[in-house]
Amino acid sequence: MMPLLNIINVTKRFGGILAVDNVSLSVNEGEIVGLIGPNGAGKTTLLNLICGIYKPDSGKIEFNGKDITGLPPHKICKLGIGRTYQIPQPFPDMTAILNVAVSVLNRTDSANMSLGDALLEASYYLEFVGLLNKRDILARDLTLWELRKLELARALATSPKLLLIDEVMAGLNPAETLSAVRLIKRAQEEFHVTVLWIEHVMKVIMEAADRVIVLHYGKKIAEGKPDEVVKNERVVEAYLGGKYA
Amino acid sequence: MVKFEFGRSRIVIRYGNSKFEWTIEPRYWRNPLLAVLILLAIPMLIHQQPGMLTLFTIANIYAMIAIPLSWQIIGTGRINFGPQFFVGLGGYTAGLLSIHYGLTPLQTLLIVILVCLVFGLVLSLLTLIAGGLYFSLITLILPLIFLEITFIYGDIFRGESGIGGIAPLISLGSIKLNYLVCCYISLAIALTYMLIVDKIFRSRWGLKMAAINDNEDVARMLGVDVNKYKIVTFTVTSIFIGIAGWFIAHYFTTFSGVTYLPINYLIKLLLAVIIGGRGSIYGALAGAYFITFVEEMVKVFGPIHYVIFPTLLLGLIFILPEGLWGIYRKHKYREYYPSIRIRRR
Amino acid sequence: MVAVYTFILGSLYLLISLGFSLICGVLRIFHLGYGAIFVVAAYVTWMFMKEFGLSLIPSVILMLIFQLIFILATYYGIIKRYIEREEYLLISLLLIALIVEEAANYKYPIIVGVDIPSTIIPGVLKIGGATIPYQMLIAALVGIIFTAIFVIFFLKSRIGLVMRCVSQNVRDSLLLGVNVERIYVYALLLAVIPPTICIIIIAPVWAIDPFLGWPLFTTAILISIMGGLGNLKGSIMASYIVGFIHSYTSLLLNPRFTGLTTLVIVVLLLIFRPEGIARSESLW
Repeated sequence: MMPLLNIINVTKRFGGILAVDNVSLSVNEGEIVGLIGPNGAGKTTLLNLICGIYKPDSGKIEFNGKDITGLPPHKICKLGIGRTYQIPQPFPDMTAILNVAVSVLNRTDSANMSLGDALLEASYYLEFVGLLNKRDILARDLTLWELRKLELARALATSPKLLLIDEVMAGLNPAETLSAVRLIKRAQEEFHVTVLWIEHVMKVIMEAADRVIVLHYGKKIAEGKPDEVVKNERVVEAYLGGKYA
Repeated sequence: MVKFEFGRSRIVIRYGNSKFEWTIEPRYWRNPLLAVLILLAIPMLIHQQPGMLTLFTIANIYAMIAIPLSWQIIGTGRINFGPQFFVGLGGYTAGLLSIHYGLTPLQTLLIVILVCLVFGLVLSLLTLIAGGLYFSLITLILPLIFLEITFIYGDIFRGESGIGGIAPLISLGSIKLNYLVCCYISLAIALTYMLIVDKIFRSRWGLKMAAINDNEDVARMLGVDVNKYKIVTFTVTSIFIGIAGWFIAHYFTTFSGVTYLPINYLIKLLLAVIIGGRGSIYGALAGAYFITFVEEMVKVFGPIHYVIFPTLLLGLIFILPEGLWGIYRKHKYREYYPSIRIRRR
Repeated sequence: MVAVYTFILGSLYLLISLGFSLICGVLRIFHLGYGAIFVVAAYVTWMFMKEFGLSLIPSVILMLIFQLIFILATYYGIIKRYIEREEYLLISLLLIALIVEEAANYKYPIIVGVDIPSTIIPGVLKIGGATIPYQMLIAALVGIIFTAIFVIFFLKSRIGLVMRCVSQNVRDSLLLGVNVERIYVYALLLAVIPPTICIIIIAPVWAIDPFLGWPLFTTAILISIMGGLGNLKGSIMASYIVGFIHSYTSLLLNPRFTGLTTLVIVVLLLIFRPEGIARSESLW
């Protein structure tokens, strides 16, 4: 079966810094793939390359059989890739429901949707993440956890086939972490999205991901099931230093 | 079949598959229909007073420029510090065509629209290239360039005294009737602009433009074709502003760049938008009327009013950071309350 | 001949733009009301001389005091309030310029002659085919001297070093314990001195009218942007480049195009290379 997302030998430099070094990975439909690695390993850059914010210096990115290398971001979004941001970036002066409505309006199948119907659809997504009672509050007045949920709702509202999640756990307490994992798993079942998930919190990746890929200094150093990767020598060395390997 | 439904506070008209809904605002001071009726009645009430009709027309002219300007600010996400460039463009085009080729106002209107379309398309590329602060500076200087050109090629543009003898808008026999009709035309244009912009803002395009205003990069990520919206917004608003220039030329039958291109005029326009309320369009109308009113009042002081007027405006900025619209609004969260941002990029 | 005028104009423009570059570099704002400084300098001196009958030197000293108070009022009244909200800042500064110019125009309308007898050496100098009043030569020399003083100040003195820090990164300077507000005030006070001196010396040879601020402001902003948004090194180079452009246009092309050329070049620069010619955006 053809993978949903296929990244082939992608490299990206910024000046003298090699952010992503000849990385190849693939994501199959329906799985949750975790992307881990120490800070500066190039995870967010890889995500930006997939989304079209940066163009790769070399290599190809294929999504659903189509070559999307170098396409502008809004076209890539319309093809079915959604993403959340590490630091939530809502539209601060708009209410929560309007934030999600912008995503709803940009789906390929809603070209002629009126604003009222878009708001209705948006409320459905808000209810899914549990923010329906906050729908009329300005986005800048929401707490961090609510903002993260809003980001998720916004990304889901574009009805993506692939969801790119960037460190959604940072700054959440244990209870919120638990609900976040449950939320993402529910999203995967209900909306049939495939998830590529960057994360630092190991516990979360271990229990949620089907497969884990490890990046270090821009290179892929390990890939496989979570419990295998954790025992991999190179991974332990990357995270904890040579002494513990 | 067209079906009418009368709800408690709304009228719904259904035609086939589409639905047209009109909310009747129960509170009288917020009812836009009432405001429109009052505005329509004003010229009939004041036309006995000399000069009042012209004053009202001038107020409408400011509104004709301020409303598209606020639309442009939100739709492109940047502040245009030189809207009077298109005023000058429309005015001079209409004036020159009228004198040299004897075209009627309607014919000049068509050509003004064409010229503004071309210039608007070309200049809209600036919104794509230049970031916030630089865009403001560029647009600040463009009208000054236009002004210099009018001086250098003074034989064509008639330098400081401007072009005279432009065909008047309507000739209906008595002068008083002319003024009255022109006043209604200006009001009609201003209200049409208001209607168009209002409908657009309430629609899905308005939401996408709000997204562009707030955070361009995220909007791009969410699938909004930012470039297309910026180009279209800039071009269409430039045409609207150019039409205001056309109206000025034919109403006053003279047009001189010195009156409409320098910084003085710019300040009045920008303040109409800002005092009216930081980019909201109803505020722009109120702001335009307010500025005209203040300018007239200040003339009482004699020649020193040139000093008092800017000082007053400065004071107004201090006192009313949210503008007149801010006084009226008490943070209703349901609608979009835009804020103007200049980003340094 | 072009070379002579380039030198003279370039040094003169140094004086004019030094203040703007300083404000732009340290406070990171575009002082759209910069033209007002020139108008204040000329007309306040004239006011002291005419209304109070003082002679030149005391008028100039009083005017300097007034100028410093004025810029402090601008800072505390406007810049400090709106430094986060740039749209209000730009409009308020524009309004200040308008108010000052209209006030000057009201008190001493454009047809009234303003005569500031600050001629030090009368007469003209003929050099290289050009006729240059000695006054302008003095102004040019003063420009170079001032620039040298400023450069030495920024490189060698402690406050200069702190100013350079603030111009590069305000937040880190705050973290290091710098009283950023005081630095801003010092920068502003320093910034008004070159344009004031320029006007006083140039007054006998150039016509003084209430609206002379605008062309000077355009030149200053052009030089600042070309030099890289407040970068002093870049501003020095840009002053002479612009001086060259102006001399070339006036002497070899049509002199009526000078103002237009400046404006067009500013716009082109803003579109295509807003960073200017210098490599960094900081003060030095």
